[in-house]
This record gives sequence, structure tokens and C-alpha cells, in this order.
Amino acid sequence: MRSRPNYLAGIATFGWLLIIGVPLYALVNTAVQPQTTYTDRGPVSLPSAVTFDNFVTVVRSGFVGYLWNTALVAAATVAIVLLLAVPISYAVVRGHGWLTRGVFRLFLLGLAIPAQAVIIPLFLIINRLGFYDSLWGIILPTAAFSMPVSVLVISGGMRNISVSLYEAMALDGARPARILLDLVIPLSRSSIATASIFAALQAWNGFLFPLIMTQSDSTKVVTLGLYNFVSEYGANIPALLAAVLMSAVPILLVYLFARRALVAGLMGAGGK
Amino acid sequence: MVSVTSSRLVRNREARRATLALERPGVAWAVPGLLFFAVFALAPMAGVVYLSLTSWDGLSAPQFTGLHNWSRFLSDGQMWQSTLVTAVLLVGNIAVQAPISILLGVWSAGHQRNRAVLSAIFFLPLLLSTAATAVMWRQLLDPNFGVPAELAGLLGSANLLGSQGGAVACLVLVTSWQFIPFHTLLYQGAARTVPETLYQAAAIDGAGRARQFFHITLPQLRNTIVTSTTFMLVGGLTTFDIVLLLTNGGPGTDTSILPFTMYQTAFRTYDYGYASVIASFLLLLATGASFVMVKLSGYDKMTSTLEGM
Amino acid sequence: MMNSISRKRACATLVVSAALVVTAAGCGSSAGSAKSATGSVQFWTLQDPTNSVQQAAVDSYNSAGPGKVAMSVIATDGFKDKLRTAMGSSLMPGIFFNWGGGSLTDYVRAGKLVTLDPALKSQFLPSALQAGTVDGKLVGIPARGTQPVFLFYNKKVFTDAGVQPPTTWADLTNLVQVFKGKGITPFAVAGNATSSWTELMWIEYLVDRLAGPGLFQKIAAGDWSQWKDPAILKTAQMVKGLVDSGAFGSNFASVSYGAGGTSTLLDKGKAAMVLMGSWEYATQQSADPAFAKDGLGYLPFPSVEGGKGDPADVVGNPTNYLSVTTAAPATTAADFLKTTYSDSYVAGLVAKGEVPVTVNAKQALAKAPDPTYAGFQYDLVQKAPAFTQSWDQALGLTLGTPLLTEIQRLFNGQDSPEQFVSGVLAIKP
Repeated sequence: MRSRPNYLAGIATFGWLLIIGVPLYALVNTAVQPQTTYTDRGPVSLPSAVTFDNFVTVVRSGFVGYLWNTALVAAATVAIVLLLAVPISYAVVRGHGWLTRGVFRLFLLGLAIPAQAVIIPLFLIINRLGFYDSLWGIILPTAAFSMPVSVLVISGGMRNISVSLYEAMALDGARPARILLDLVIPLSRSSIATASIFAALQAWNGFLFPLIMTQSDSTKVVTLGLYNFVSEYGANIPALLAAVLMSAVPILLVYLFARRALVAGLMGAGGK
Repeated sequence: MVSVTSSRLVRNREARRATLALERPGVAWAVPGLLFFAVFALAPMAGVVYLSLTSWDGLSAPQFTGLHNWSRFLSDGQMWQSTLVTAVLLVGNIAVQAPISILLGVWSAGHQRNRAVLSAIFFLPLLLSTAATAVMWRQLLDPNFGVPAELAGLLGSANLLGSQGGAVACLVLVTSWQFIPFHTLLYQGAARTVPETLYQAAAIDGAGRARQFFHITLPQLRNTIVTSTTFMLVGGLTTFDIVLLLTNGGPGTDTSILPFTMYQTAFRTYDYGYASVIASFLLLLATGASFVMVKLSGYDKMTSTLEGM
Repeated sequence: MMNSISRKRACATLVVSAALVVTAAGCGSSAGSAKSATGSVQFWTLQDPTNSVQQAAVDSYNSAGPGKVAMSVIATDGFKDKLRTAMGSSLMPGIFFNWGGGSLTDYVRAGKLVTLDPALKSQFLPSALQAGTVDGKLVGIPARGTQPVFLFYNKKVFTDAGVQPPTTWADLTNLVQVFKGKGITPFAVAGNATSSWTELMWIEYLVDRLAGPGLFQKIAAGDWSQWKDPAILKTAQMVKGLVDSGAFGSNFASVSYGAGGTSTLLDKGKAAMVLMGSWEYATQQSADPAFAKDGLGYLPFPSVEGGKGDPADVVGNPTNYLSVTTAAPATTAADFLKTTYSDSYVAGLVAKGEVPVTVNAKQALAKAPDPTYAGFQYDLVQKAPAFTQSWDQALGLTLGTPLLTEIQRLFNGQDSPEQFVSGVLAIKP
């Protein structure tokens, strides 16, 4: 590759590392301090006292159950999104002219639907379908709202597949389904992975849909569970941030594994 | 490519075209997803557009009022101010996030091992929900006990959220901090698909790193730039969690972006009809802008940046 | 091809009409079907440390009946949103926690609430019942402690400066100079727009001290033109005077209450005083128990010379209420409400540091974690000729939210006092 080391890149990335790292350090720093002393020194100094009690408090508040619910919601959301968005992207990229372009434009429209505006009609629909206070009440709207992004990203990845490859498979007599499974999906793995991560994050971090569509403790997700540490006039900041950390760990693990798939799937994307 | 016109080649081409037509997916492939999307996203939005023609407080039945809300919207000074602030924040966010994301994405597409580790760290902010990020930054931006207190000399004043300029800058900072990782991911994936042969050819021609970046990498990233900027556009027009938690539209109404004003109108003044107008307007803006972007860049022609190779 | 076009159009029409039907049909319909008087009652409450006390009351009620109560704890920041969304549908709760006053007006006018048994009134302090009465009907009964607003101060800072906390306005302005000279912020206030209710408290007290409680009562009753009263302009000018003299320091516009901004300032001695509701004690206690126990002082808001208001008047949150909707089985709901003044419930609240407003609370307060503090609050409320509810709760969010914006603009200098008055008047033309 490059023989000379890229000093400019080195400095810039170090600077960016600071910008990312310092607030994250403050996050971890506050989460490991007791509530009584966390304001003794600045957020970026070394802690005056370290404790892991906050994490214990978080677990005791039922957090593991919330994590499980959130994991279910995220998994189901990603599954639904991929199941529906991959065929759509395929149709949009390889399909006949104007009709499929219309579909693409329709999804562009969906990119911009403001969730807070549609929440009431959506609530009525979910209620009428009988999904209130169940995880499906969260999964279905979240998946639907993640679809435009996914279609945009996946179709972006699919269109980079060279036409000659399609022609080769068509001359072998392959039908669209075979082409999708054997050619398109393997070659657009990275964009599918990106879309999955995005959908998973939407599900993991969603607050409004869980707030409005659920009410019991058994259907609570992590973002609602954070409010165990927030009351009307005060918040247990260290415990809250500890909970935030704990909610980020599972998805971090998923990302680390997805990255490997990302890297592995990037062979020969394109023509010769 | 040698072009030879002979009847045999013409017949082959026609046969080929006929064969190829078979392997193209029809619109039926898109129907299940469309139906799902229609029920859970389009139908509610249609409901919102309908509500914009009514007056509704959420409790009793909506009253049809026709275009009354819309004319009120067009003559409302506060709405124009909100639109302006929205535009300012949007431009600020794009100007900050696009260059950094492109550079970071291209950099992390490289195969050096340390880059993989650092990329994982750079991804971390995205793992925090917007609410969590805003809560964390609210602590960090406290003028007495947060970072500004320690940097007051450098910044001139620790009262960052107390002025419009400062508040806007803080919002851009926090939003960028959280979302640059996402855009970096997009660019990283795309940068990896740029064929090495292009760079090798350019190196042979004597092009330096900067030239390669501007003449090879950026054009190849064209589709991704469109995607990424569309997201930023849409994000700027629909999300306001950070505004809600950090500045609540303040000082005064200096950072009351349109989506925030919409939320306030719906859930603070319970004027859903009017809020639906703002929502419909935002939808129009965002869709219009994405259409324009897509058209201008030829994105919807579904061509590959690798065509002709 | 033609088939595709008309198919697409048919689909679109179907979608739109479905949306219209669902929205129109779903709106404004409450459970109209006949239901029995006993059954399961959905009880929605705010996430709060007192949830355990409420849960205990629910559990003990469920063991006896009739009917059952199911309690759902809703996230603090989303409570009002979720409630509002549900109240227009068949999923509205049977009993819900609320702030009384303006937060209930819309529901009353839409016929969603049940008028409560007047006999319940005898169990509570009269001043606390006021905000639970809307349009003359009793629709909410107290279910929490009272939260009056008064001055807190850092005892050590005062001892070091050799001064006493203020009892008159002249004292107050004098103290501002004293502390400024020592580099200590005289008053901590959270001036970020997320916390402008902390600034509202100043306005509430000043207007009450200057003009008495009647002025705001008229405004809350619907006479918006009362904002033209000279007392309002004088209040705004006094506030400007405070801000300009540095009483709040220079950074207050970036300080957010939720980030622990003001409490930490007081705790660390960087500020001398803060005007806050009684929950400040609990906040300080979780952050620094030693300070809360020994270093935190409190006293009523000072009198203002030449004002018409009684210096014993109090502002704040009289209490929080429980209201019953038409969706609840009537007997179960009514019977459950009786738990709010039961001895065990009151004792549970007291143990959490709350000061209940039931008539049997005074004896229970002897067992409070800090009996002196609890007694102080109870006496303050009991002796107050008037207890004005926080304006943003009394007026409801529709009027309260823009009012808070104007107040924030006044404090950070974006509005002059005159602009403040005209800005507020313009909220309801």
C-alpha cells in the first residue's frame, strides 16, 4: 500500500480519538463513582472514589429483564427489515423501469416521516390490531420506520454489482430468486450488514415507541428502564450512566461480530 | 471493444436481451415490504395529513377545518424563525459531519490492524441512545462543574448554552459526536469497494495521495455521499431529542427547530391539527430535498460507479 | 402495465381511506360499553421513589378487594405524553397520577373524569384540595406529600460571612452585595430553558408578595388581561435588578437543574442560597447526606416592603393528585382512593421524607426521618393563608409553556421588563 506513513492522518485521528474518548471517559468515570462524591472533581479528572455499586443497583432494578426484551425487539426488527428490504432493494435495482423507480421514491418519502407526528394515528392502529403492551407493538413500527434507510443503503450496495455478472448467470438460465441468493446477497453483504446495524440501533435506542405502545414492567425495554434512576426533580446520575453503559455493551458485542462479517464479505465486489 | 455488425451478432444480442428480461425481478418482489410499510408508516402519515385539515385536541372527535391551519402556518412568524434555525443547524451539521466522516471512513477502510481497533472505538458514540448522549453532554457542559468550567479561559466564557451562537455550536457538537460514526460506517464500506487497480494506475502515473483522494476516491464515493447527505438532511428535519434535552429550544426560542416546535405544538399545547401541518410541511421539505439530491446526482438511475470497467 | 397503474392507485386509495377510517374512528371514543362497578382498574403513576409506598397500598387493597388494581409505573419524562395519547382512546387508565389544576382542565371539559365523593374532602387540608377542584367539581384527591417552595441556604457560607439569612427584601439585596464581594454566587438558579421553572418560582413569589394571591387567581380563572397589572411590571423590574446586580452569577443560563447544577453549587459552597421546592432536601441527601443533615438551612421567602401580599403566603406544589376516569369500574376505584388517607399509606410517605396533607399527618410526622424539617413544612403549609400552585401546572401546558419561555427570556436579558409583559399578554390574545 502506501510506503510513507501518513503523518497528517495520524495527527487527525489522534485528535478525533480525543474528541470521542474524553466524553466516553467521563461517562465511565462517573458511572464508577458513588453518588455522594462524583461531583468532587471535574468529569475528566481521576475519580476520588471508585465503586461498582452502581452496576449492582442497576441489575437489581430488573435491568437484565429489560435487556432481554430489548434484545428480542432488536433481533425481530432486524429480521423483519432484512426479510422485506432485501427483496425490495433487489427489485428496485434490477427491476423494470419506472414502476420500481416509483417504489424507490416511495421509500424516499418514508425517510422523513417524523415519528412524534405520527405517534397518535400509529398508536390507534397498533391498538386496533391488538398489539398494545406487547413487544410487537414496538417491533412492527420500528421495523417499518427503518425500512426506508435499509432500502437506501442496501440498494446502494447492490447497484455496485457489475452487469456482466448478471448476464453470466442469466445465460446459465438462472431465475431471479437464484440470482438473488447466489449472486446479489453475497456481494452486497457489507451494505446488508450496515442496514442491519442501523435497524438494530433504532430498535435498541428507541424511546417513543416503547413509551407509548407499552406500559407493563414485563414489556419494558432498556430506554424506559433508565428512568428507574430519574425522578421528577432529581436523578441518580452515576447509576443512570452505569445503566447507559450496561445498555451499550450488548450492542457493542454485536457490532464487533458484525464487523468481522463486514470484512469477510468484501471480496471481489465488482467486475473484473 | 470491437464493434462488428453482422446479422449473427445482432441476433445474439436480441436473444441475450430476451434471456436477460427473464432474470429481472418484477414488482411482485416489492409487494410484501410495501404492504408492511404502508400499514405501519404510510397509513399513519396519511392520517397526519388528514389531521392537518382538522382541529383536534386529542380527546374529542376532530373537527374538520379545511385549510385554516395551513394559512395560519404560512403567516406565523415563529414558524419562519424556526425554519431558519433548522436550516442553520442543518448546514452546520452537514458542513462538520460530511468532511470528517469521509476522511475517517476512507482512513478506516485501510487494512492496517490498528485501524480496525481504532474504528471500533470511534463507533462507540453511536451505541449510546440519543437520550443517553444528551444526558451525558448535559453533565459535561455544565458551566460550573463540567468541561467549560475547566476550559473557561480558552473558550472565553463558560456560559455556552446561554447565547444563540453558543447553543447552536453545542448542538452541532453533540449531534456530530453521535452521528459521525454512522456516516463513517457508510463511507468505510463504500471506500473498501473502490478497486485497488485504480489507485495503482494513478500511482504509476505519479499522482500523490491528495490527488488520488480527490480524483479517485471522492468520485467513487458519489453514491454514498448522496446517501449520507440525505440522512443528515432527514435527520435534521425529524430529530430533536438533543434539542429537547440540552436546550429545550432555548435560550428563549433561539434553538427551536421545526421538529421541536412541532412536538411542542402537539404535546404541550395539544394543538394536533396545527402540529400536523408542521409535520406535513417537514415531510414535504425532506422528501423534496431528497428527490432533488437523487435527481441531481443520478442516484436513481441505479448505475454503478464501476460502470465501464 | 395498465393493470399495474390501477392496482397501484387502488392500493394508495385503500391505504389512505384505511388511515382516515382508523384515525377518525379511533379518536374521541372512550369505552362506551357497559361495565360492572367492580373489576380491574388500571392505575398509572409517575416513576418516583414513592412508588414502593403506592405498590404497598395496591397490594393490600388487592388482597381485600372488591376488584383489583393494576399499577403501571411510567417513565418520568414521558408521563404526560403517554397519558394524553391514551386519554383519547379506549386505553385510557382508570386512575392516574397528576398535578391537578390546569393539567386536568382539558380532561374535565372532555368529560373524561369522574367527580369524586365530596365526603373525601374532610380527610385533607383545605388548601391542598384547591388544585384538585376544576370548574367547581372535585376531580382529584391528594396522594402525595406537599412541596412548598422556600429558601435553602448553606449554613457554613453564612457563618463565614457573619450574616443572617434574609427575612426582608432589603436584607436580600444587601446579602447579594456581601456575597458578591466574597466571590460567592448569592443565588443559584437553573436558567437553561430545560429548567426555567426554577426562575418561575421567583416570579410567583414576587407577584404574590406585591399583589397578593388574588391577581394570579384571576389569571388562572381566565382573565388574561390581568397581566397588565402594575405588580407584574414591577416584578419583572425587580428580577432585572437582581440579574443585573449579579445575584445569580453570570453562568446561570447554561445551568440545568437535571444535571445537578444548582444543588451542587449550594452543596460546595459556591452559591449561598437557592429558592427551591422542598424536594431539594432529598436531592441534597442523596448527593451529600452530611450536608443535608447539618449544613443545609431553610427559611420562608422574605417579605417585600410595601407589598400587599401576606408574607405567610406560600407557592409551590400543594400536592399531587389521583383522578378517576370514566373507564374505571366505579366501586373499585372509589374504594381504592380511600387508601390515600389510610394510616399505613401516610406512614409510608412520611418514612420517605414526604409531608402528607391529610388531617392525620401531623402525628405521623413525629416519625419522619427529619422531624424538624417535616414539621417546618407542615406548619408552613397549614398556616399559609394562600398556597398558590405552580403557575405552569395551574395554567396547563398550553399557556404555561410559552409563559416559561418568556420568563427565561426575561432572566437572560433577551426581554426587557416591558417586553416581558407584552410578550406574556400576546400568548392569549
